[in-house]
Amino acid sequence: MRISAGRALPLAVKIPLLVACLMVAVGVVASERVLARLQEAQERQLADLKDAYLDGLSSSLVDPVLRADPWEVFDILDRASGLYAAVRPLDTIVLDGAGKVLAASDPRRHPIGSDPPRGPAGAAVDDALVDEESGRAYAGRVLVVEGREVGSILVAIDAAPILEERRQVMWTLLVSNGAVTLGAAALGWFAVRRMVSPLNILNGRLERALDGRAEPIPDEDIAGANTETGRLFRSYNALARGLAERDALLAKAAEEERLASLGRLASGMAHEINNPLGGLFNALDTLKVHGEREDVRRSTIDLLDRGLRGIRDVVRSTLATWRADREPRAFRQADLDDLALLIRPEVARKAVDLEVAGRLEGEVPVDAIRLRQVLLNLALNACRAVPEGGAVRISLVADRDALAATVDDSGPGLPEEADRILAGTAGAGADRGGLGLAITSRMIRDLGGTVTAGRSPLGGASIRVTIPLRHRPDLEARDVA
Amino acid sequence: MQDHDRLSRRAVVLGLAAAAAPVRPSHAGGPALRFGLTPVFLSSDLELLDRLKAYLGQATGRTVELVTRRTYQEITTLLVSGELDAAWICGYPFVSFRDRLALVAVPVWRGRPLYQSYVICEAGREAAGLVDLRGDVHAFSDPDSNSGFLVTAAELAAMGERPETFFSRTLYTYGHRNIVRAVASGLAASGSVDGYVYEVLREVSPELVAPTRVVRASGWKPFPPVACPLAFEDTPGTTALREALLAMPKDEDGRAVLSMLRLDGFTVEPAGFFDPIAEAADAVRRLG
Repeated sequence: MRISAGRALPLAVKIPLLVACLMVAVGVVASERVLARLQEAQERQLADLKDAYLDGLSSSLVDPVLRADPWEVFDILDRASGLYAAVRPLDTIVLDGAGKVLAASDPRRHPIGSDPPRGPAGAAVDDALVDEESGRAYAGRVLVVEGREVGSILVAIDAAPILEERRQVMWTLLVSNGAVTLGAAALGWFAVRRMVSPLNILNGRLERALDGRAEPIPDEDIAGANTETGRLFRSYNALARGLAERDALLAKAAEEERLASLGRLASGMAHEINNPLGGLFNALDTLKVHGEREDVRRSTIDLLDRGLRGIRDVVRSTLATWRADREPRAFRQADLDDLALLIRPEVARKAVDLEVAGRLEGEVPVDAIRLRQVLLNLALNACRAVPEGGAVRISLVADRDALAATVDDSGPGLPEEADRILAGTAGAGADRGGLGLAITSRMIRDLGGTVTAGRSPLGGASIRVTIPLRHRPDLEARDVA
Repeated sequence: MQDHDRLSRRAVVLGLAAAAAPVRPSHAGGPALRFGLTPVFLSSDLELLDRLKAYLGQATGRTVELVTRRTYQEITTLLVSGELDAAWICGYPFVSFRDRLALVAVPVWRGRPLYQSYVICEAGREAAGLVDLRGDVHAFSDPDSNSGFLVTAAELAAMGERPETFFSRTLYTYGHRNIVRAVASGLAASGSVDGYVYEVLREVSPELVAPTRVVRASGWKPFPPVACPLAFEDTPGTTALREALLAMPKDEDGRAVLSMLRLDGFTVEPAGFFDPIAEAADAVRRLG
């Protein structure tokens, strides 16, 4: 099975990944919203606190600022730092009308009469400016009496707890989202693994079925009666049983085909045996009459011998082809010779010009019985296909790696359907020829070989069978029987 | 303006109180004895005020009303104008209004009716005397305070200097305790403080005093007295008050008040006892 790399990730990984991605996206969006709302709320809270603090201060500070009374200003700031503990004022500076420090909560840092600090701390802005680096927020308020600016208040507020809270919320969100995402991914992984495990079982079965071993799934593996998986498994089992029935049918058909070809050859063989019989009886008569003559006797016995040998060969090769209780053995030249012998009656009947080419040296490790049947079927088909007086050529070549057999004929060529039957892609046809081809093609596949059909230089079809050679110890050094 | 409102409001309240006198719970007949307190001592101590009020009421047989104000000037004004029957004021206002005030009694501290004025600065600072404090932000207690202003100003006057020019800036805290706070916090680099208050604070609030140290202690000065308007000098009320003050060490409540104030008792001194303050005031005035 070839699947492109992008789809190679199994569902059990892909779906949890997808879930995790979605969770991360949801987490990021939700966290961003939460943090934004938190920041808003905190800034509002900060602004409220700052306003309360500055409102309180400015109402009590106006008089002492007008009187330029540093002590009272300081006293108010000092008391306020205790009163406004929630505001956490770190540093409060009160400036006089000239913009100089009148008093500050920390007089050592901001002595009376000094200039206010530069930067955000020295700007009397109404909105609280949060400086995240220093963890401080700065705000200010201008003190106005009768429309005249008499001074201003600058305050630095400790924003560290607010920033710390924000940081903690962010970490909490990060950790909890991470945990939820991981959990969801793990859950997804388990769930999907559970869901796809029947598919994996089915996949394994189907792969084995492709190798020709379609086995039904045992009942205990089929979960629920009405689940999708259950239905799927039952459908597969029906398919597997169908395949098994087809195989059984094909095997039966192959047996019938074998017997049928025996029937087709029977008359020819009877002829093969009958022909020499007439000569043999003549030879016996000759022996009766002229038996005392040494030369006649010898030549007649030779004749008898040859005739009987011919009959023995015919019987032996027929037996070799059709005897059922056979043990596997290797293919050899004798099998090829037998083949020529077996189809001789058919060849003679139609006056076919038969040529058997190629010689095998020693044994070829291929199941001889099956290969003989394959070659016999192909040769008989060729003989049947060619017209009276046509030509059939069987050639056989073997080297270390493969055995190649080609059956050419001068006939009209194969019907279109035959190609597909040979390739094993079409179901077995109803007609005999189709069934024969299908059985042959199946036998070739059983031998581990391939079959191709093409145009023959003789004018008809050329069917080529290639069987890769695997050295099988069970086929070596076994007698032809 | 504000003070005037308050005064007139009080006048109304007093009038009403006088009208309702028969039903008002009091120790004895007669109008309430109005006794003024300046921030000379630890006037914020409510318990002390309660005990003092209880003792005086019991000892004089009169209802006692304690009156406190933020500045010496307010109390002095009330006293001089006769709004108060008596007041514990500073020696400086006493000499300023000597022609209109009379002495009731003078507190005795550590066996004598005398105290000192301290000039203090930050504990770690190297300064040997007043001259080293030139250019400071200096905290005074009150422009009408002897120890918290006049003593230092007189010493500067002796050097031919005035506080406004000798120091870069002066400020008033209207309380000796606040002088210590101002110097301890760094708001002021130095300050003039009542030596008696400073010593008491050293005992009751050591953490407040710790960041400061005494640069120089002045000579012994007459302790802030209890005074009354000249017109009330020999009234029964004043006599009763004087006797109550003098008898304090003999009474349990009186002793409790004295121990809170860290005083030994009260004594009677002649008006001339405060002449050194008058001289100092003259010296300062001459330079100004």
